[in-house]
Amino acid sequence: MSWFMGVDIGSAYSKGVITRDLELVASHTIISGANYRTSAQAIRSELTIKGKLTDNDIVATVATGYGADSVYFADQKASDIVCTARGINNVFPQARTVIDIASQSTKVIRLNENGIVTNFTVSEKCAAGSGRFVEVIAHILRIDLADFGPLAARSENPITFGTGCAVFGESEAITRISEGIPKEDLAAGVNKALASKISSLVKKVRLEQTCAVCGGGALNTSLINTLEKELNTTLPVPPNPQIITALGAAIVAAASATSQSGEKP
Amino acid sequence: MYFAGVDIGSTMTKVVLTDKAGNLLSTIKGPTGAEHRQLANEVMRQALNEASLQIDDISYIVATGYGRLNVPFADCQITELSCHARGVHSRFPDVRTAIDIGGQDAKCMKIDNGRLVNFVMNDKCAAGTGRFLEVTATALGIKLEDMGDISLKATKKVQISNLCTIFAQQEVVALISRGEKLENILAGLHDALACRIAALGRRLGIEPDLVLTGGVAKNIGMVKAMKESLDCEILVPEEPLITGALGGAILANEIYMKAVAAGEALSTKARRLEKATFFGEEHR
Repeated sequence: MSWFMGVDIGSAYSKGVITRDLELVASHTIISGANYRTSAQAIRSELTIKGKLTDNDIVATVATGYGADSVYFADQKASDIVCTARGINNVFPQARTVIDIASQSTKVIRLNENGIVTNFTVSEKCAAGSGRFVEVIAHILRIDLADFGPLAARSENPITFGTGCAVFGESEAITRISEGIPKEDLAAGVNKALASKISSLVKKVRLEQTCAVCGGGALNTSLINTLEKELNTTLPVPPNPQIITALGAAIVAAASATSQSGEKP
Repeated sequence: MYFAGVDIGSTMTKVVLTDKAGNLLSTIKGPTGAEHRQLANEVMRQALNEASLQIDDISYIVATGYGRLNVPFADCQITELSCHARGVHSRFPDVRTAIDIGGQDAKCMKIDNGRLVNFVMNDKCAAGTGRFLEVTATALGIKLEDMGDISLKATKKVQISNLCTIFAQQEVVALISRGEKLENILAGLHDALACRIAALGRRLGIEPDLVLTGGVAKNIGMVKAMKESLDCEILVPEEPLITGALGGAILANEIYMKAVAAGEALSTKARRLEKATFFGEEHR
């Protein structure tokens, strides 16, 4: 029985998990802030407290994500695509496609029954295709990200944005607010626009069942419902979708430790 | 006999009043921005005051720009492309290519004898417009109008790796905290925008000399970056911001004179010097 750590430093949130072999023991999520090194450190200390462990109990740590280089205590780095696939395979072994909706990008990954990546595509470097669009509009609506989905779900008349750009969308939203458009219609409009971008991304790699969704964007349930309608399929979401990539990183750590020690996984 | 061009851009509203001979009587600019939206009537009122005229002294008023459709005191609407072409031609009669970089779009125009013959534009992505500089200036805590001057002090260009304005906003802040010099980051930002605008221009084909208009043409760093990207001479009118409004006033004059010569009565419906609206029914 050994403990492993996975740390995923994203542009907006930093996530970490500890697993006992392949089983999740503890997880922690914080805002990344300006200093990724400090975030990585905070993740590690919080995780070991939650897991009632010390740093020395951790056999191996794998870092991933935008700020993987800042995880100074990691034994190795792994690609976020690989980690997301391993993570989703751990919680949903039947998943053959996973949509990871993050702040910096959206990724659609195809994987086999062993969690090995067979194909993937990443959204263009554009905030309108990633969770950032939601963050931008939540900010001008002055609402918490957590309230965005429930707010959007109340809308019966989602607005249609006249632009595909998050910067122009922000200006448009400000104008619409001053015109008295209800907040929920705006929030639902954002989800509609984002779902449509994600859906065209999914079509690039072809969706294979089961298709799961993870990443911070998966916490926006109204977005997932909109995306389900758009793709005409059900999209299961794991209980803690934001930590899936970090979980995958811990699994990669466990796998490389076992292969080094010569044991069969 | 007096004429007016009203150019309602996404960032600034511009009004130009001319007499029959085309002399400028007044040019007034005011912000269109979120809080000042719908204030076209105020800008018009100021322009009339400066020229000591009343709204009914103006023979014909042309509205142009992004917000042209709902100006309650305009007699007709003409696209900003046609107005720009006319405005550029009035200042640089031989020029055949003009690029206008505004706060919400960028347009590259081919002009033949004052008429627009072809154009390409970007209004889809903020990263290829003046908005890119506005947003990053705010993130860096500097004034938009100071960006160009500061960028000229650069000793190197810091490459900006993000295309998206929103991600670039975050990137420039990270670059500052990493110790990169402000002027070098600004040089990188100007270079990034100039490269995208140059790519747009090449789609149309550029015949030097090139005229640069719009608010971004007031940015000396941007003029330099465009010169480097396109490797050609760049001409900038004295007041690049008013090119569209000026073209509007010139076209107002032409339309009016043509109607008079033909003995037609131009219907100038009741003008109301009231607020303009954005995103009206007609616009969507």
